[in-house]
Amino acid sequence: MSTLDAILNTVAALLCIVGAFFFFVGTVGVLRLPDFYSRTHAATKCDTVGAGSVLLGLALLQGFDPATLKLLLLAVLVLISSPTAGHALARAVFRGGLEPWTRPGHRTGGGVS
Amino acid sequence: MKRALTAAFLVLVSLPLLYAMSQLPQHGSATSPAYTHIAPRYLERGPEEAGAENVVTDVILNYRGFDTNGEVTVIFTSLAAVFAVLLAGREGDERSASEPRARTTPEVSPVASFVVRLLSPFVAIFAVYVVMNGHISPGGGFQGGTVFGALLILATVVLGKATAEKLQPARIRGLLQAAAPLTFIAVGVAGLIMFGDYLAFPKAAALAWVRTLWLIVIEIGIGVGGASIISAIFWQMGGDR
Repeated sequence: MSTLDAILNTVAALLCIVGAFFFFVGTVGVLRLPDFYSRTHAATKCDTVGAGSVLLGLALLQGFDPATLKLLLLAVLVLISSPTAGHALARAVFRGGLEPWTRPGHRTGGGVS
Repeated sequence: MKRALTAAFLVLVSLPLLYAMSQLPQHGSATSPAYTHIAPRYLERGPEEAGAENVVTDVILNYRGFDTNGEVTVIFTSLAAVFAVLLAGREGDERSASEPRARTTPEVSPVASFVVRLLSPFVAIFAVYVVMNGHISPGGGFQGGTVFGALLILATVVLGKATAEKLQPARIRGLLQAAAPLTFIAVGVAGLIMFGDYLAFPKAAALAWVRTLWLIVIEIGIGVGGASIISAIFWQMGGDR
């Protein structure tokens, strides 16, 4: 295995680990955060950063190949669609009148009470 | 007396059934007839005999074509039932509330609108790809039709019902919804006329392209019908907005 291959493999593995880490953090966030908005925020991190970097890592592992193009396209799709879904969800719920959670005593307003 | 007779009758009927059940092959056993005769034959000769590389397509559209023909008819009938139930409830509704509805749809986020417009062509291409490649790779009419139906629903939610409905001109909408059973019947009758049996496929090796062509025609019919039915049910349930 040449040096270039070794570097590529290491970077790919690091990207996959970063992706797995973001999936973990996102899952913890969905389970532990206090309200709908912050949980949606955590859930979108899984798809954008998590899936995005795992797909990038896999594309590096694959090298020059039609499959790489598919992986990159998937990454672009996820990068576009996931934030949009989070945005649409949060916007719909905000319009629906759910007040964002604030720390007790730190009422900054903003929601429809 | 009546109760005792009922019990005796049930026992009498269940005994032969239980006996027959004890004679059935073990569930999942590799020596059961389903695995020793039918499956190997489908796997070995499906691609040349039925016209599709994808054995699943061979089985559902060719070997078990009758079954799938009935299945798409059932799906179309379910649409008719949904229409019957929902439209019957709506008639009285309309007379009492002829003025425009008080509740208006909230304005759509420009971000969501832009992204849906951006991605729709790709989703549509993917749906067509899944339908047309059903005889080679996993996929087919049902799957591709569902993808396209989901696209129509997405367009309805984000861009409005009027925009989405332009994709299905009202004049031919009924035909589109019935596309799956109609295509099946058309191919079936063609087989009846040309080869003597309903849903008969040509057997000659030289006519392999005809078998594949017929499978693709049925796939397209199922895809168009499925997408139309899914969106029609959604539009009916979403009301007039």
